[in-house]
Amino acid sequence: MVRPLAVLGLSLGLLGYAAPAASAAPAISASKGIGWLRLAHLSPNTPPVDVYLYSFGNAHAMIVLKHVAYGTVSGYQSVKSGDYTVAMRSAGAAASSKPVLSTSVDVTAGDAYTVAGMGPLSGLRLQVMRDRLTTPPGKALVRVIQASLQQHQVTVTAGKQVLAAKESFAKVSSYQVVSPGTWNVRAAGASESAASRVTLAAGSIHTFVVLDHPGHLWITSLEDAAGSKVFPEGGAATGFGGTAARPGASPAPWLVTLALGLLLALAGASRLRRQPRRAALVARGRMR
Amino acid sequence: MKRRSGRTAAAAILACGMLAAGTGVAGLVMVSHTGHGAVLPGAPTAIAAPRGRRAALPETAAMPATAVARPVSLVIPAIGVRTRLIRLGVAPGGGLQVPKTTTVAGWYTRSPRPGAIGSAIIAGHIDSYRGPGIFFRLHQLRPGERVFVRRGDGTLAVFRVTSVRTYLKDHFPTAEVYGPVPDAQLRLITCGGTFDPALGSYLSNVVVYAVAAR
Repeated sequence: MVRPLAVLGLSLGLLGYAAPAASAAPAISASKGIGWLRLAHLSPNTPPVDVYLYSFGNAHAMIVLKHVAYGTVSGYQSVKSGDYTVAMRSAGAAASSKPVLSTSVDVTAGDAYTVAGMGPLSGLRLQVMRDRLTTPPGKALVRVIQASLQQHQVTVTAGKQVLAAKESFAKVSSYQVVSPGTWNVRAAGASESAASRVTLAAGSIHTFVVLDHPGHLWITSLEDAAGSKVFPEGGAATGFGGTAARPGASPAPWLVTLALGLLLALAGASRLRRQPRRAALVARGRMR
Repeated sequence: MKRRSGRTAAAAILACGMLAAGTGVAGLVMVSHTGHGAVLPGAPTAIAAPRGRRAALPETAAMPATAVARPVSLVIPAIGVRTRLIRLGVAPGGGLQVPKTTTVAGWYTRSPRPGAIGSAIIAGHIDSYRGPGIFFRLHQLRPGERVFVRRGDGTLAVFRVTSVRTYLKDHFPTAEVYGPVPDAQLRLITCGGTFDPALGSYLSNVVVYAVAAR
């Protein structure tokens, strides 16, 4: 189930490494100025394609994915925020040839997008989806992409919870809040169904994709994003202060204490020295 | 009688003076031994980048979470860090549990495993009551520097620092640090900023953001 999806993601990573523009992009910051893009082919009767990602206005492709077949979803590629163009060409077509399809994507910093070839070959389109990156506390989020042409309407459930009811071909459901756990996920069309066991962790976001597989229906789970299952409160108590420069670490008060102490000690000492002399004089006087 | 009381008073003044002077000397000694200048250790011992099989990164969203083994050790050559990783949970008060000793770092077990999709969390102390802790130099990391996490199966996850931030604990960006991300990332957390002796804690946290290096 995982295998048809796994191949391309790896190649996206490798291509990302080969393309300097792509690998240099995330260097600014993990949180500022960076967004994410992934590419998918979800049109059942469309032959494999080559997918090109261009930074807007740059004729040199940042990423090229060769021979992308139906059912493939790449991993996310981090990119600088800005405008991008995604173009699809028939597999093996020259990079200079006119694309079959293209679309523009405006990547906002901190946001993630899926750009997928959707629909039947006769009505193929590139759809840009904005992918959620936050969950309600302690919950998981799931949405369903219905990419089965053989079963025009599919209902997808996790346990007893309906995630998508009679979802039409080439539609994307809204996100549903799901309790964390391992669920029996079922996709049921008019004449076929598919099942899978899927573990959904709190703080994770998933996309379930319903696919035509030769002879039967197929459902696969993509883990889009993950965070901590429980968010600890506030900051972390990761220091005891043994190396801290304290505000009161000035030597002045101690110098004053030392000086006063020395004065006091001198005064005491001199008084002590005078005392026995006086006592001796008094004693002598008495004797007279 | 008079004579003795005079001598006693003089002796008392002398003793008080010596005591105060001694306190002053002790204070000066203490001041000179605290503060960053006095405890800065020498240059970090050279630690080479670890070698080993680099585990395949979760390039596809379909790779199951179980494909990544638990983290067991952390190496940051740029700042001389080499430590095993203990496991951390949530403290009774609701905050992030921190290591009991200041010589090891820990992985927060409710966060994704380092190298899996998501933001893995590792925390360690900047110092103890006496001197530097495992993450004493964490704030000195710079974008581009490498962080290595060894997993239980012997594989290495390699990360590249993207930014180093300091946040007041009162304004800790919980969602940004612990929230979901769509690729394999790492956050290293320690203390920083001003130490409040009355509270017995630092007022800020230093967070290092890193992404899986390809």
